[in-house]
Amino acid sequence: MPRLGAVSMRNVWLIAHREYVERIRTRGFIITTVLIPLIMGGLLFGGAFLGSTTSQESHIAIVSSDTQLILDLQTELQRRQLQQQETAADPQHPSTASQQNKPPAIIVDAVDPGPGTRARLDADLASGDLDGYLWITPATTPGARPSFVFTPRSANRSSLKNTLAAALGTVLIREQLAHQGVVASDADTMLQPVVIAGSQRAAQPDRASAEISVSVLFFVMYMVIMLYGMNVARSIIEEKTSRIFEVMLATVRPEAMMAGKIIGVGSVGLTQVGIWLAALLAFAGASVAVHFGGDSLHVALTAAQVVFFFVYFILGYLFYASIAAALGAMTNSEQELQQLNMFLMIPLMVCFVLLGPLINTPDSTLARVLALFPPFTPLLMYLRVSLGQPRPWEVALSLVLTSASIGVIVWITSRIYRIGVLMYGKRPNLPEIIRWLKYS
Amino acid sequence: MSIVQLNHVRKVYDTKVAVADLSVAIEPGTMFGLLGPNGSGKTSTIRMMIGITVPDSGSVSLFKEPFARRLLGQVGYLPEERGLYKKMKVIDQLVFLGRLHYVPAALAEKRARDWCERLQISEALPKKTEDLSKGMQQKIQFIATLLHDPALIIMDEPFSGLDPVNALLLMDTLLDLRRQGRTVIFSTHRMDQVEKLCDNIALIHNGHLVLSGSMGEIKSSYPRNRVHISFEGDDSFLTHPAVESVKRYPGQADIKLRPSATLADDAQSLLAQAISRARILRFEVIEPTLEEIFIEKVQQTAPDEERLESATSPAVDSLAKPEGSCLNA
Repeated sequence: MPRLGAVSMRNVWLIAHREYVERIRTRGFIITTVLIPLIMGGLLFGGAFLGSTTSQESHIAIVSSDTQLILDLQTELQRRQLQQQETAADPQHPSTASQQNKPPAIIVDAVDPGPGTRARLDADLASGDLDGYLWITPATTPGARPSFVFTPRSANRSSLKNTLAAALGTVLIREQLAHQGVVASDADTMLQPVVIAGSQRAAQPDRASAEISVSVLFFVMYMVIMLYGMNVARSIIEEKTSRIFEVMLATVRPEAMMAGKIIGVGSVGLTQVGIWLAALLAFAGASVAVHFGGDSLHVALTAAQVVFFFVYFILGYLFYASIAAALGAMTNSEQELQQLNMFLMIPLMVCFVLLGPLINTPDSTLARVLALFPPFTPLLMYLRVSLGQPRPWEVALSLVLTSASIGVIVWITSRIYRIGVLMYGKRPNLPEIIRWLKYS
Repeated sequence: MSIVQLNHVRKVYDTKVAVADLSVAIEPGTMFGLLGPNGSGKTSTIRMMIGITVPDSGSVSLFKEPFARRLLGQVGYLPEERGLYKKMKVIDQLVFLGRLHYVPAALAEKRARDWCERLQISEALPKKTEDLSKGMQQKIQFIATLLHDPALIIMDEPFSGLDPVNALLLMDTLLDLRRQGRTVIFSTHRMDQVEKLCDNIALIHNGHLVLSGSMGEIKSSYPRNRVHISFEGDDSFLTHPAVESVKRYPGQADIKLRPSATLADDAQSLLAQAISRARILRFEVIEPTLEEIFIEKVQQTAPDEERLESATSPAVDSLAKPEGSCLNA
């Protein structure tokens, strides 16, 4: 009956439209739309900001009667500082500086040792004016090294101590070389640190940014699918308890109700993700460089990645929302739902756990096999498409397998739904559910 | 030809027989009452009429055709438990439900406003449903049933939970709808309500049809063996030999006369004796009420089946008036 098909599509649309309008008007929607990016952004930027301020500047004192040594050390520390900044600014190695902490600028005070010196320095340490002091005791035998004692303000300034030790080492070697009669310029060349320039593949000029962008979208997909899947189940339970079903079922087929609900709720999720993505791209379009402690990271998404994101997001939502609809139809309260929602959560969480290991090996055998398993396909295949090089047939197969399994789930769910929504009281057991499937 | 016909329908839930072999035919343009105590199978019967559940056996026909979902376009259904979207505005809700029944949005809105005015709840239209009282929500649901101007109106317990004024308002509305040629079917456990309203009734008990037919025929098939009497003074006339049993209330008595060929004369003789001993304010000889007929019928059928069940059934107990004390004359 073609007419019936057309008729129910109209009702599906009406129901979806109602669901969409009612949900999008709620304060909850507006709050989550604004708040979630703020929280995520806050976590990312806040972390970077904190990391960059803590090691901003250190103030130390060096106690020695050898003023030449202090002077050499000061020069060496400054030189190192300059070198590090050059490396960080060098576009050839965008990730090197971000991996290690930005080198701290070190202000060095030269102090002559005297009777009250140690007490005064300890007082400065306690008041926070000083981050540490280095006490240099000249060697008692000529030719031997002097001894160095570093007293930091707090134990966690080990990076400061390491920087000082490295700088001191260089200074002492240079001194030795000068003793051996090596010209200062030759000594500089010898002591120049070796820099290995990393060569990047041309296809992926900005791997780090891509990984972060894809991880953020991966997390968004994971969260939105779970959130809106649960929303479908919850609103079905709500309609069950408020007995709207009876009114609706006197007019509308249960399949149309279910489809309308899934589409309506899903459209809300799609709208929300769309808003986030548009904001993100506008952000990137305005080319506001996001500075992570000196390193610049930008939104690195290609058009294909965005398209595949939406394709896999929609498939994933349909897959999990259909399961959620069945769970909602089988249960009578949120508490009962919570006992069953592991069916929804576990596969999604497995994907989430796999993000870490697979992000660096998106084309490994494990990734290739798992990405074809329909419950994992939306998240993992999206990851592979974005960061790996899946063969076209793998992408096509993943789409076919997932679509087919969505078809099967919708078929099963609509049967459970048809009977389950009018069942009140006890939760059905498995044999009952199987009986429902046979009942038409 | 019937507008709704149930043919030997049967519905079993798990182990409970909700409806057992029920056949009912409802004529177009009539007001039909489906009566029975709580748990007798009224709601199950109505749900099968509109295809929310499918009978295990037997058949349902609507508008002279075997049941099909498309026929539901001409049916307005009010479920027993009210179902409205709590967070939605009343007017949006009514327009939405009207549109599901293929009423254009503008027309649905106009009808919704007209009905709200008629049922005196226009002030509820811009509010959220959850902010309304239960009675108001019920009226909104009532209106939702009628927005698509259905030829057949099926209402499950439409008056439950309403105060007398509002119940009367809805009863009048239903009578108007019937006068306009629509068929109205409603269920109730309040048998006193239907005596005034219904053309035809079906009385069911434990899923079985106990009694059905036109209200007038059913009533007239029973002898006028009930006497309502209001009096002041001596009540010794209640021991008159024609009296079988008495329910005594302050200043009043409901009397059941002994079966006899000369019931009318017995009543006159009782009246004469009463006048001689007390001051009579009212004396009325009538047929038994539906409630009495129902109890009588259930007790008759009890011996052949489910005697134990009906004897212990709280539903049957609740039918006996708790305030009435039974005296044997």
